[in-house]
Amino acid sequence: MSSISLDFAEELKEYSEDKALECFNCGTCAAICPLVHDNFPRRMIRYIQVGAREKILENSDELWRCLHCGLCTHTCPREADPGEIILGLKRFVVANWRS
Amino acid sequence: MFNPRDIIEALAGNVKQTKSPFGIPKFMVNKWFKDLSLPKEGEYLLFTGLMYQFTPFIEKSTQYLEKYEGTKMATLLKYARYVPAYLSGIGLAMMTSGKEKKEAGQTLKNIALLLQKSKINFGYRPDLDNYSGILLYDMGDQKGFVAHAKMLAQKLQNAGIKKIITVDPHTAYALKELFPKYTGISFDVKPYFELLDLEPKDCDLQVTLHDPCFFGRYLQVSDIARKVLTNFGISVSNIRNQGEFTSCCGGPAESISPSLSNEIMEKRAKELEEPGKPIIAYCPICLGNLKKSGADVEDLSTLLVRHI
Repeated sequence: MSSISLDFAEELKEYSEDKALECFNCGTCAAICPLVHDNFPRRMIRYIQVGAREKILENSDELWRCLHCGLCTHTCPREADPGEIILGLKRFVVANWRS
Repeated sequence: MFNPRDIIEALAGNVKQTKSPFGIPKFMVNKWFKDLSLPKEGEYLLFTGLMYQFTPFIEKSTQYLEKYEGTKMATLLKYARYVPAYLSGIGLAMMTSGKEKKEAGQTLKNIALLLQKSKINFGYRPDLDNYSGILLYDMGDQKGFVAHAKMLAQKLQNAGIKKIITVDPHTAYALKELFPKYTGISFDVKPYFELLDLEPKDCDLQVTLHDPCFFGRYLQVSDIARKVLTNFGISVSNIRNQGEFTSCCGGPAESISPSLSNEIMEKRAKELEEPGKPIIAYCPICLGNLKKSGADVEDLSTLLVRHI
């Protein structure tokens, strides 16, 4: 069973702009992402929204499949900046490794 | 896929120790200017960020990564961070062919020539020309990137540099967007093709332009590159994913997963080959990756130099 961290979005503010809660999960980012078969980055953003901190750490390798191409950010209808959110998650994971 | 931690810690260690992600001493990487007599001072500083110079080494290291991805040997990469950076860097430099190093340098000579022909007042200072640290930023090593960027921005500021010409999209983005944000130091940064003012030639040629993500989407300057080509009488074929909606070449994934990088590269190469015209790239990473796909591709500067 996965635990939920209610303060996760708050914790991430240290690593990137707080935009994940703007996302309404339309899936545009996952549709346009070159990593078409992974429901990426939508799933990672959903994990932030529900506070699934451990899920992100368990699946952290996936974050580095991101090409940082910026298509998701460019097409997001909510201007939630998915590319920056993924970059923020990478920073969060790197900080966790080193802590 | 390799363990991202192994790759990131190795790269971060190299940048920290040697200012280069590959650990190769700068005198072995940056040689393109040696047989030119470029001025040291000028209105602009030509700043290559060493990205073109790194491409032969990237290609060589990717060949090894490709060989070991998904094998038991891949786990040995976790020990890479304990190898002294200069030792692994010199090893990589020795394994890389001289022909490829020369080719990478030729692109920079072409760019310098185009700037000279455009009567741009620029200088080149090899002592100030350093890697921007962009890979650390992309990989999420924010602390490492900010430390490196601060060191470099301070060095440029201390040398009195205000205006900078960049040659690749990654360095351009780092200096133009990230340095002001994370170091508090700003420069007037222009990609070289923005400054070109050459005699228009009627080339009667059609090409397909591959816009790199950072020029097309992040910095939105791909219309300038198109205009340069149009001024030469070179027409650019329209493809579905271009300009701000360009597709990635797969290059950014080549260290973490060469197989993923190849998958993305094949898709993009197919899009670019559709019109059946020669492909023009203006990023060293895209150029190297598209070449690997077997595409008929050359650098923008190579094409332009041939027609002046």
